[in-house]
Amino acid sequence: MSFSLNEMEATAKRATRGAGYSWGQAEEASKATRWLCMQGLDGAGTLARLLERGLTLNLAAHRPSQIECPWNAEDDLCPLSAGSLLSDSVHLLKTNPIEMQNVTMPALLLPFVSNAARLLQEALTVEIDGVQVVTDGDRLMAPDTLPDTAQRVVVSRSASPEGSRMRHTRAYPAPEDWDVLNHFAHRTYAPATEESRLLGAGAGLSDND
Amino acid sequence: MDLKAQTQIERRDPATVMRLSRLGSLHQCRLSFMRQLTRRMAHENWAFSRPKFDIDAKGVGCAVYTAHGPERAYSLVAFAHDLPPEKRSDRVIADAWDATFALFDGIPSEADIERLSKNVPLQEAGRVSESELSLSRANRSVRLWSHVVDALAAGQQPDLEQIYQVGYLMRTTAVYGSGKFGAADREKVADRPEVYAPFQVEMLSVFLTRTFVRDLVQHMADAKGGSRAVKLDPDIARWLGIGNSTGLGMAPFIVNHPILFNNWIMAREKAIARVRSLESASESEVDQFRELFQRSQLSISWWRSQHPIQVEKLAALTADLDTLSDYLDTHALTDAFPWNRLMTWSETALSTEGQEFLASLILEPYGELVDGLATCMADSQAQAFVIDGTMSIGQARELIRDTHGWALDLDWEARENCARAWYVSEEKLEPRMGERFEEPIAEYEQPLAPARDAIAAYTLMGEWDESQTVAEFLLLCPEHRHTLRRVQMSRNAPYGEIRDNTIGSAVLPIDMLRAKLSFFGATHFDPRSDRWVRICMYSGAPYPEELTSENADFWVYPQVPV
Repeated sequence: MSFSLNEMEATAKRATRGAGYSWGQAEEASKATRWLCMQGLDGAGTLARLLERGLTLNLAAHRPSQIECPWNAEDDLCPLSAGSLLSDSVHLLKTNPIEMQNVTMPALLLPFVSNAARLLQEALTVEIDGVQVVTDGDRLMAPDTLPDTAQRVVVSRSASPEGSRMRHTRAYPAPEDWDVLNHFAHRTYAPATEESRLLGAGAGLSDND
Repeated sequence: MDLKAQTQIERRDPATVMRLSRLGSLHQCRLSFMRQLTRRMAHENWAFSRPKFDIDAKGVGCAVYTAHGPERAYSLVAFAHDLPPEKRSDRVIADAWDATFALFDGIPSEADIERLSKNVPLQEAGRVSESELSLSRANRSVRLWSHVVDALAAGQQPDLEQIYQVGYLMRTTAVYGSGKFGAADREKVADRPEVYAPFQVEMLSVFLTRTFVRDLVQHMADAKGGSRAVKLDPDIARWLGIGNSTGLGMAPFIVNHPILFNNWIMAREKAIARVRSLESASESEVDQFRELFQRSQLSISWWRSQHPIQVEKLAALTADLDTLSDYLDTHALTDAFPWNRLMTWSETALSTEGQEFLASLILEPYGELVDGLATCMADSQAQAFVIDGTMSIGQARELIRDTHGWALDLDWEARENCARAWYVSEEKLEPRMGERFEEPIAEYEQPLAPARDAIAAYTLMGEWDESQTVAEFLLLCPEHRHTLRRVQMSRNAPYGEIRDNTIGSAVLPIDMLRAKLSFFGATHFDPRSDRWVRICMYSGAPYPEELTSENADFWVYPQVPV
């Protein structure tokens, strides 16, 4: 079944929040998922597998321990933490490449790299264990699938991509991934009570006149 | 060479404009989305057709209404149902309606209509596709529907007083756009000039819905009265708008879209400042202002509400109209900077409701000065989402002081200051607001208290060195990312934040609803509780076949009957 990109984004945001990330990270994860789907990549599956890893049990162990490169963590590196740091620290790329080690679901870095390329107004290459991805912030050259983990990821300035992936206007999540996302999203919903039915939505004067 | 600078009246301070009590007193104006649409359709000479009206004597069936613009067509596909009265509810928890609609991008085939007939009547429980731009439903006004059907069927015109007081035959209870339930994302149409401005798809859908409702009531009267039935007088039909019943679901929108909301308020504030900066007003401009003031008084005299807050505001507004009338009787508006004088006078002479009514009204004679601002009302700054990590903590704290300074001294731990929490219900996946200390909802809280969150980040950043960067702070404190993003947006969006407590015990969500609905161009706000409101849309507007450049703009102000 096809979903609108807005539906994909809204579900991804609730799912990421439901999995225990902050609201700000959830906003970024949802935009990232939407962006991957727009590029025809498996955004829903990528996010679903990340959330199932349960990194939020101890997120501090999965984020870069300092801004200086290389970026690594006590445990494997969360792409939402590393991605947002990359987007926040774009200026570092002006002088040196950024190297990351032991990254889980590295495809989720790509939307952040795309942001960075737009901010720098130049193309960036992401090398994921030898697989090359290039983006100028608008166009993306990448294979259809990327590994679930990468030993080494290097982001550096490069020449513009020579082609680009076809843009998609809909998302086609695998049903099982969609279910995983909705399962996490469900954790953000308050159970209904009779009181909330009456008060929460603000029943008042008659609505049938 | 004359180097004397033209006096430039500044825009009003966001600290004044963005208080909830003022946002909850906003009135429609030239920039309202309905008026943008009718002006454009008239200017571009849109054509309208009704390729299908297949409805039986019980009022069940399907109709299609197509609007043909210069480059593209849009079609309202309407399904009429026979709804048992006990199922009729405006609440979002309803699962059946008198009529359901989709706005189709183009002209639907029979196969499209067949597909939609299996989904649109189900609303949230169905699926639409990328060919559909909006999904909506409407219920009859029980009071007025049977009166109009019975009168026409008996060969009589309906009673105008009843029409004035209700204002509509049907009210929509949700108009979903932008990718909801499988519909096309806004991106599909965002670069089309006719729907670039906000909510033009939804406004077009409602414009066509109003025509369908007029045709349906006639059809039902004809079926009931047979040869005795008469045609609804077009002069009466024109006063029939479309009602809308809006609940809490809409309130978070203006918090969740700070740049978009800023752009709406900014456009109106720029327009007000431009008109206030005019050194003089011509006779024809003053005449037009006075005429529309007269006409608006009639509209306000039809505005009814039973809600104590709105009853009080209406009493104040009615008194304001007398005060303003006295002012206009004694001032010819021939002094220097007449509009600025009037506005300055209103700040102490009128209630907030009256001040905002006036602020919208002074824009009316100045289409050339004002209407171009409509192009600034969409949000095209996707890149504003990206946080600038190089900003210093000192700078970020200064931005928070600028926008949320009012909130710095508030005791955010005190129960009355955080009595409420916004959450999403499991039942309908819709936003609700509850009592933090009485219901188990705190852990499900949505980020709809930007001021509280900003003060929390401000306080924590106070423990950091001012020269450290936002990137360093957010690496260790990712729970503040959403706040720092908003704070940075405020640099280019001074009207993006509500400058009031959105979770205090005194918060009135209807203020947030009204702020948004006023930009749609809604009138006759009628709160039904502190968190849902009924309004009227398109009352007085020409129907598609009547639309001309002469009547496309000021229809919102009724002509005083001769």
